[in-house]
Amino acid sequence: MKFRDKLSMCLGNLYKRKVRTLLTTIGVVVGTCAIVITVSLGIGMQMATDQALASMGDLTLITVYGYGISSDQTQLDENFFQTVKENEHVVAAMPSISPEWGSMKITGGNNGRYVYESTINGVFMEDLEAMGYTLREGEWPETFTDDMILMGTNSLYDFYDSKKTTNNYISSWSGKDPFVNLDDRFELMITVPEDSTKKAPTYRVQPIGIMEENYNLQPSSSYSIFISYNAMKEWITEYKRLNGIKVDRNETLKFNSLVVKCDDMNNVAEVEEWIQSFGFDTYSMETIRKPLQDQARQEQLTLGALGAISLLVAAIGITNTMIMSIYERTREIGVMKVLGCKINDIRQVFLMEAAAIGFMGGLFGVLISEGVSFAINHFGSGVTGESWEIVSGMATGSTSVIPWWLVVAALIFATLVGLVSGIGPANRAVKISALTAIKQDS
Amino acid sequence: MAQIEIKDIRKVYRVDTEKIVALNRINLSIEQGEICCIFGTSGSGKSTLLNILAGLEKPSHGSVLIDGHDICKMSEKKLALFRQKNVGFVFQSYNLMSTLTALENVALPLQFRGMDKKKRNKYAMEMLKSVGLKERMKHTPNQMSGGQQQRVGIARAFVARPKIVFADEPTGNLDSKTTKEVMEIMIHLARKHHETLIIVSHDRDIAKYADRIIYIIDGNIKSDEPNESVLKN
Ligand SMILES: Nc1ncnc2c1ncn2[C@@H]1O[C@H](COP(=O)(O)OP(=O)(O)OP(=O)(O)O)[C@@H](O)[C@H]1O
Ligand SMILES: [Mg+2]
Repeated sequence: MKFRDKLSMCLGNLYKRKVRTLLTTIGVVVGTCAIVITVSLGIGMQMATDQALASMGDLTLITVYGYGISSDQTQLDENFFQTVKENEHVVAAMPSISPEWGSMKITGGNNGRYVYESTINGVFMEDLEAMGYTLREGEWPETFTDDMILMGTNSLYDFYDSKKTTNNYISSWSGKDPFVNLDDRFELMITVPEDSTKKAPTYRVQPIGIMEENYNLQPSSSYSIFISYNAMKEWITEYKRLNGIKVDRNETLKFNSLVVKCDDMNNVAEVEEWIQSFGFDTYSMETIRKPLQDQARQEQLTLGALGAISLLVAAIGITNTMIMSIYERTREIGVMKVLGCKINDIRQVFLMEAAAIGFMGGLFGVLISEGVSFAINHFGSGVTGESWEIVSGMATGSTSVIPWWLVVAALIFATLVGLVSGIGPANRAVKISALTAIKQDS
Repeated sequence: MAQIEIKDIRKVYRVDTEKIVALNRINLSIEQGEICCIFGTSGSGKSTLLNILAGLEKPSHGSVLIDGHDICKMSEKKLALFRQKNVGFVFQSYNLMSTLTALENVALPLQFRGMDKKKRNKYAMEMLKSVGLKERMKHTPNQMSGGQQQRVGIARAFVARPKIVFADEPTGNLDSKTTKEVMEIMIHLARKHHETLIIVSHDRDIAKYADRIIYIIDGNIKSDEPNESVLKN
């Protein structure tokens, strides 16, 4: 038999039993709608969650804090830095070292009149861009040198006028320009004891720009001046030497903090736990991301189970309809067999009927789902509870998303459900004895 | 060798513990183009014999050779193919597909063979013409009389030019005038292409149309003779 003939026979049979075909199809429609809408809500949720998380910053970063570490545990130093870098999920790690408070300052302007005594961080300057730091002014240089410094967003306002004792500050929100600007001459000065005969050493430093404010980054991009890690390391040693601070030969330089970048946000939890196992305090977005994602997944699972159940019911409906149809058509099938219709052709006609019911149900299901999706997005709110609203509030507001692949998948799935439901009945039809079928009274 | 060779056919039905012998050692050979009537009273085993000949039922014992092939040993699949190629069937209760038109019903065996629509409709059309139902080709079975429906059934049985056509009480539901029409058409078509026709009937008037009358009583062949009246003509 030609495929076209089988198809028209199959459609003819369905059309002949319009009402029953329709009712069976409705079962599939409901099942398909349930699944498509569920998945579309899930996708909407996922997109909203992703968007919300993206606005929180780089989710692959873990900050390891350098304080609160007792002397008998692993220290946050270059040794640990090496250990961390060897972890397979770590793509980059950036330490930050700071001089003791008051041990260094940066001067700027005429004869070093303006003085900066706030935070200075020694970092890997060449890694900053990859870590997510951006510049408000200036440009990243091709090659980095040890005399380069990078200003925090508000650091220029932290230079005070050393010639005055009152009114020697300009606040960043005053709207006025700070005392210094990037074109001024800047120098880093290492403090020496007041009674020392030695002159305090100064080093010429060159600002390359000002960072854009980003609260998600550690060390702070707002209230800090960055300088090369290696230079800072040398200056700290220099300071200790000049001030007669004894250094134990085994003692290593402690980091202020260590920022670790993971290869994937799904590995953050593992790496963070591993770092914590050394006794360090850490911070990452994981604590926020995890519950959000868990909840989204939970809701999807619940809705998905409902959808699956309704489609299962639809499948049973199809099987039932097909079996009834076979009972009615016993005689017809017998006659077809006597007239020489091949067994496989009979089987295929029945499978096609079941698949056609599935396909039509899928098609209408998808169409209705599009409508429901539209309604949810335009008229509905808070479909899935409070926490969801918090997330969706941050996102675009669209809560049900039906991408093209979902449409295709739903159609294929519904058709398959029909097909599978039809296997049993089709085998049954094939087994009908031609003889008993034609002996049956019409 | 004859077209149909039946050797030692026996058919026993088992109902609960009781054995019913429907056919008891039947031997027959039928030549290509013969028109035979299997004649006998109700319950004598006529239909059982016909069904075994057509491969619809397996005998308890014995073999049925058609053109040298034992159809009793064929699988369901092979039998379907065998029927598609060699056999036509006329039913007592017509058994037309109620949703299909006369033309589509006649074209059905050709459709099963995978012939395309244009071609098979042409053949079906010719068949309908030769049974005198050209005007009825667009009608569905419930728009036709019993006689007309049976003529469609005959057209369907002959359309694929089978080697053998089986007819079990083809006129059982028809009045005597219509019976005559239908029988004449059937005989005419079988003769025209030299096709074997095997008719089952308990009606003497039907038996008259055949070349050969096989008389069955209680599962045994009582007599197997050429029909004098036909031979005389
Ligand atoms: N499936 C069956 N199970 C049990 N017995 C059967 C079966 N089919 C037929 N028989 C018996 O076999 C015998 C022959 O039946 P068959 O149908 O061949 O008779 P028939 O000659 O065609 O009669 P009729 O002219 O009434 O159609 C009968 O006694 C019948 O009861
Ligand atoms: Mg009978």
